[in-house]
Amino acid sequence: MKHIVKIITLLVTISALWTGLLQMSLVPRSHIWLLPIYFIVALGCYGLLMVGIGLMRFPTCPKEALLLQQDISEAKEFLKQSGIDVGSD
Amino acid sequence: MELADRAVGFLLSMISLSIFTYYTFWVIILPFVDSDHFIHKYFLPQEYAILIPVFAGVVLLSFLCVFIGLVMLKSKKKKAQ
Repeated sequence: MKHIVKIITLLVTISALWTGLLQMSLVPRSHIWLLPIYFIVALGCYGLLMVGIGLMRFPTCPKEALLLQQDISEAKEFLKQSGIDVGSD
Repeated sequence: MELADRAVGFLLSMISLSIFTYYTFWVIILPFVDSDHFIHKYFLPQEYAILIPVFAGVVLLSFLCVFIGLVMLKSKKKKAQ
């Protein structure tokens, strides 16, 4: 709930700034009309960048994976000895 | 596998950074440069700054809709079996 309030405040601030710029007409109008699309493009770029960074430093733990495999095989052996069918490897 | 993932991630970040830099130059800085400056040769006219993102967004949205529709159809078929 708090997060959405933050996002809405940000959007309102940005739109207020934009309308202010439109009213002041310091810069030619056609360039100010481009700003919302620029924001959308920037948001898309940010999302893509975050996905790329997440892919680049994706945490893996090979040591723990080996230990887990060992545990699994141990448990399978134990269950087989007690006569429970656990399927083939 | 891990190396490929890392390469893809690096590529994605590079693509996003280059798009962001190019678009910032195009939209924010170029209006303040004289129109007969040589740098204008490297950028398309200003209309394309709207057309290309809108077109890309429409294409992305339609792809998403088609994908969701296909997934729904597949899951319905599986349920019927």
